[in-house]
Amino acid sequence: MRRHFLTALLAAGLAYSAVAQTTFPRNGVYDERPGLYAFTNATIVVDPQTTLQNATLLIRDGRVEAVGTNVSVPAGTVIADLKGKRIYPALIDIYSDYGMPEIPRAAPGGGRGGVPQIESNKKGAYYWNQAVQPENSASQLFKATPAKADELRKLGFGTVLTHPHDGIVRGTGALVTLADDRENTLVLKSDAAAHYSFSKGTSRQSYPNSMMGSVALLRQALYDADWYKRGGNKEQSNLSLEALNRNQSLPAIFEGNDKLGVLRADKVGDEFGVQYIIKGGGDEYQRLDEIKATGASLIIPINFPQPYDVEDAWDADNVALSELKHWEMAPLNASRLASANIPFALTTAGLKNKADFWANLRKAIENGLSEQKALEALTTTPAKLMKAEDMVGSLQKGRVASFIITSGNLFGADNVIYENWIRGKQYIVNQKDVVDLRGSWQLTIGNQSNVKLNVTGKSADKPEYQIVIDTTKITPKVAVSGEIISIQTQLSRRPGSGTTRLTGYFTSPTSVKGEGETPDGKQITWSATKSGDAPLSTTAVTAARSTSATSSTAVVYPFVGMGNAQKPKSENVLIRNATVWTNEKEGVLTETDVLVQDGKIAKVGKGLSAPAGVKVIDGTGKHLTTGIIDEHSHIALLTINEGGQTSSAEVRMSDVINSEDINIYRQLAGGVTTSQLLHGSANSIGGQSAIVKLKWGESPEGLLLKGADGFIKFALGENVKQSNNPSAGVRFPQSRMGVEQVYMDHFTRAKEYAKGWTTYNKLGAKEKTTAIPPRRDIELDALAEILSAKRFITCHSYVQSEINMLMKVADSLGFKVNTFTHILEGYKLADKMAKHGVGGSSFADWWAYKMEVHDAIPYNAALMHRMGVTVSINSDDAEMARRLNQEAAKTVEYGGIPEEDAWKMVTLNPAKLLHLDNRLGSMKVGKDADLVLWNAHPLSIYARPEITMIEGATYFSLKDEEAKREAMQAERARLIQKTLSAKASGSPTQRPTFRRSRMWHCEDIEGVMAEGEEEGK
Amino acid sequence: MKHILTSILALGVLTSYAQNPAPARPQERAIALTGATIHVGNGQVIQNGVVVFDKGVITAIGDGSTPTAGSEVISVSGKHVYPGIISPASTVGLQEIGAVKATVDKQEIGELNPNIRALIAYNTDSEIIPTIRNNGVLLTQAMPQGGTVSGSSSVMMTDGWNWEDAVLKKDDGIWVNWPSYFARNFNFEDFSLTIQKNEKRTEAMSALLATFAEAKGYLAMQNPTPTNLKFESMRGVFSGKQNLYVRADYSKDIIEAVKFAKSLAIPKIVIVGGEESHKVATFLKENNVPVILGELHRLPNREDEDVDMPYRQPGILQKAGVLVGLSYADGWWRTRNLAFQAGTAAGFGVTDKEEALKMVTSNNAKILGIDNLVGTLEKGKQATLFVSAGDALDMRTNVVEQVFIQGRKVNLDDRHKRLYKTYKDKYEQK
Repeated sequence: MRRHFLTALLAAGLAYSAVAQTTFPRNGVYDERPGLYAFTNATIVVDPQTTLQNATLLIRDGRVEAVGTNVSVPAGTVIADLKGKRIYPALIDIYSDYGMPEIPRAAPGGGRGGVPQIESNKKGAYYWNQAVQPENSASQLFKATPAKADELRKLGFGTVLTHPHDGIVRGTGALVTLADDRENTLVLKSDAAAHYSFSKGTSRQSYPNSMMGSVALLRQALYDADWYKRGGNKEQSNLSLEALNRNQSLPAIFEGNDKLGVLRADKVGDEFGVQYIIKGGGDEYQRLDEIKATGASLIIPINFPQPYDVEDAWDADNVALSELKHWEMAPLNASRLASANIPFALTTAGLKNKADFWANLRKAIENGLSEQKALEALTTTPAKLMKAEDMVGSLQKGRVASFIITSGNLFGADNVIYENWIRGKQYIVNQKDVVDLRGSWQLTIGNQSNVKLNVTGKSADKPEYQIVIDTTKITPKVAVSGEIISIQTQLSRRPGSGTTRLTGYFTSPTSVKGEGETPDGKQITWSATKSGDAPLSTTAVTAARSTSATSSTAVVYPFVGMGNAQKPKSENVLIRNATVWTNEKEGVLTETDVLVQDGKIAKVGKGLSAPAGVKVIDGTGKHLTTGIIDEHSHIALLTINEGGQTSSAEVRMSDVINSEDINIYRQLAGGVTTSQLLHGSANSIGGQSAIVKLKWGESPEGLLLKGADGFIKFALGENVKQSNNPSAGVRFPQSRMGVEQVYMDHFTRAKEYAKGWTTYNKLGAKEKTTAIPPRRDIELDALAEILSAKRFITCHSYVQSEINMLMKVADSLGFKVNTFTHILEGYKLADKMAKHGVGGSSFADWWAYKMEVHDAIPYNAALMHRMGVTVSINSDDAEMARRLNQEAAKTVEYGGIPEEDAWKMVTLNPAKLLHLDNRLGSMKVGKDADLVLWNAHPLSIYARPEITMIEGATYFSLKDEEAKREAMQAERARLIQKTLSAKASGSPTQRPTFRRSRMWHCEDIEGVMAEGEEEGK
Repeated sequence: MKHILTSILALGVLTSYAQNPAPARPQERAIALTGATIHVGNGQVIQNGVVVFDKGVITAIGDGSTPTAGSEVISVSGKHVYPGIISPASTVGLQEIGAVKATVDKQEIGELNPNIRALIAYNTDSEIIPTIRNNGVLLTQAMPQGGTVSGSSSVMMTDGWNWEDAVLKKDDGIWVNWPSYFARNFNFEDFSLTIQKNEKRTEAMSALLATFAEAKGYLAMQNPTPTNLKFESMRGVFSGKQNLYVRADYSKDIIEAVKFAKSLAIPKIVIVGGEESHKVATFLKENNVPVILGELHRLPNREDEDVDMPYRQPGILQKAGVLVGLSYADGWWRTRNLAFQAGTAAGFGVTDKEEALKMVTSNNAKILGIDNLVGTLEKGKQATLFVSAGDALDMRTNVVEQVFIQGRKVNLDDRHKRLYKTYKDKYEQK
């Protein structure tokens, strides 16, 4: 029971903050202290690379004065002997919201249904959009919150970078310590980082209401800041843009939140020459190569999914294999990142219960994360990322004296954190140097002497207590505080027997004496004597802790049940003896061979010989065509409408490609190889299209068809005038009359904008130094591109009047509309369309779902085609795209289109409409080998693809399908067994829910789910 | 007839505001269709066959030797004759333009509406009807939706002056939306759909159970007073004169629904929708419960489900011995593609095309209890049939050239053809 004087002193909280509060007047007498402490005989982990044995840490005034094995301790130093204990630098979390104002949670539904808020609610000389608030400064908002600080200190954290988690441009973060003190002493670095995200947070402003709108807003804000710097500030005062410019020099942290978000954030950074530090989502292992290629440092949460409740086999079908796999693999994330040499810091962000931090971190370590890497991720890496490595994260001389004292290896399961010193101020987490009570104690309580107290446990720090009276075992409540021990226990298991309360003091390490009170209020005396070693454990010996390390399951690309362990590769292939639909003047060739080399069609002919190493496929009795091209698709997108404004020309669908969408695979199974991913039809001027090849497994960037022309979606009619939206009535336009003026207005502005740039660009170098450059406007950029034939319009349209209108608008401004899509009344002005030179991309037989399709007829394609319009048949529907061949066949039924022409409507014609017919759409030597081998006539309902290849790589094979399904089933069964045993061993589970991303149609406005989805055209 | 129509069109009298063609006149003399490939609808095919019908009823059917004396002989050599396609579980006639509420009469408010009758709202003047008829869909079951008990359906012909003469079988069954284990929730934060346990299920289930139990009790009374129209409307369900159509998709829901019917001794239950019915095929077979599948041209239910599962479902059920019919669910205007769903079924596992054809003809007739009248081309059955230039299950080859409903020769004009003609003429396309 011998105690160091120091410990007692410190425990009493007398170690005064060593950090002076110079500027504050005192109410009382000055009490400035040297703050000089030495910690001796410790194992000191100075930084993750340097561990000193039997060393001394000397701190003065909140800073490290010396650390080493040969430190001379000056007179007057308060010394703590840490023999057998360790010192680590205190941990750092750089994705915290500690001390930030509570962010009000958006009401479910986020303001839909009410009057749209078009303008910012933030009054003052700020940016026009509420989600852009670079002027927010965490150090100004920061208010220490002791309870939360305590929670983090107990985990070993000493420093956090905190920022308000609200908005797209969030302002600056502050590096603060977790001490309880005046904020003045807590802030280590006030503008330590700039923060960005894709989420508009609490802003209820209409714009943006989509992911791609968020990205566009960020881009525009950055361009605006640049303009402001270069002269815009003479035109207006804008505190937000000033702040945004100021923040450019800071480390920039982007909330990516998942693997695709990480890639997206980095892409935005690349455009502006910024390397963001990106906060991930814990699923980065699923796209490791691409994430490594970003070169970004990451901030990674370690919240792992709970196992799913899969006890009911049918209900369990609602759990996707990808979810089961992620449950199993999430603990591997950090170790995979480390192995790939991707720098990362760890964060407690996202942990529902912060106390899970250590358990989860240990799980990550069991799954291969080295302790050194783990420590780096919690100390030096975050310090470096914040350019604060000279302050925190290690314990070299001169650093802030923030460190923790532990019982042993910080990452060991039995480790106990005793103390957390922050800037020289001590916080006790657990009592160190506790008396080892473990053993068997003989108690005498009043006149009862048959009571035993067994104290067990793996370490003295975590004792377990059990009262034994003859054969009865009772778990008491025992508290030891310094010299005092108190015990509350029943002394019988009989129902109604009350609690006896005993308080005593140590007379020696092996004896205790004291007084107490029986259940009936009688005062008694008691004593205890340690009589020997207790049995090792009072509880049943637990089975050897089964390692929770994950067996080496394969990542599949994409991370979906039907993904592939290996991304398909291009092969040289000879398809023999098939009926080949050339889409060229040769027409349909029977018993013909096609040779594929290097991803291209190399030869078409009869009796071709197979070069060495070429895979030969027998096409006898089968039909070979080029892949189907869907001119109008919304698959593989995270969102589709930025409906916050009447024009969203600035948004890019390429920002929201979802490479993990199962519909990619489903459509490959239907013979689709290329799709134009369009913005929806919520507004007159939609967003910029993305043209992708359905290379199942590739990343969003890998799906994009490189070198394709830029397209943009326009829309007319009921959707843009919000006819079928009961809560509409505010956003312009509300009639077809207004729609015309939207175009006239925007294009007129774009014309003047382009002229402004031309004028500016013509200025000499000298003149440019004084002239204010025009403000770069990415919305007008896109429109100006249309005017100069660098971007092309695909326009959602139904009724002839509006179709005519847009052609007239285009004529008057000197540009062409490229494609009318849907165009269900195209047949009424096919002559005008032919004259304008616009194509029509239509449904085969859709009608009757709303008023503007009342005159839609299935003969539309035939009538347009015969008038010389380039006609394609598109899907706008994830299901219908799986059988576009059948939709093309309907033009044979309705209107008697020749079969070859019908087939071109889903292959060559859409290629033409997308300006890709030089490389896609027909069986011509040199074109991409995007091929489909059909089991029957491709226009027949009985036809199905047996092989779908893109650029020579097989992405769907009916033959392999069976094996793939079996493998999936086996993997699923294995994971379900594993999940069941996790549940059996007591892990909490989550109820199976089945989530699927929206099946988008162009009608779907964000936040408004169209009534009767399947009719939502 | 055809010539008259053409000249009217040529004169441009029929603008886009033109009305549907008048319903056909009753059959005046016997007609013999000869030289056709006849698809009987029961699996049989007659090559170079003859079908003779008079007064709306088939009087003879067989090979080339079948006598045709006394009939108007129409050679349909090289063409195909099919029994009229039957579209069960349909809202054709009950809604016109989906987004225009004034034209939609497919569901009533309230949870328990067994007394609601779809028949009443069946609009014989719907412009949708001729477009589906012209693809061979000659019968449709007008079905109410909404609530837990939606009301009763009736089997309608796609030709008639009003619902009274269009009806083939009045109030053929009562429709129930089985309270589902799982409810769909839309998440506005990330725009995903979550399907999770239906928390309101218990309440809906107990209301449903109580209604049926009390109805059964009420109907056993001699002269129950006061009269309960809801219970009265359910009489046929308990007596076996009406089907109990239960919409259920999830496997557990299907089992429960069947058990529910058995426990109340309801003789005839039909599962409608049945997206997971293939999982309980054996159960359905053992209990002799037929299934009307919804639209086959749908996406798989789950990320991991086989990409072609919806297409394969009819084949799986057929091979398990379950009586399967195909429907187009709520896709009113799309119902003209119903025969192609049978084509899909044939391409994805149903034994053969004739077996697939049964799923939209005789199987549907059996399930709806009208197989004594229609569903196959057999002597004594109604002459509700059509002639196609090719395989009617395939859009590539299907061109319906003649339609007879109860022997009445139907005018094949429709809104789409009129507009086609108008603009063909405008552009002088041939």
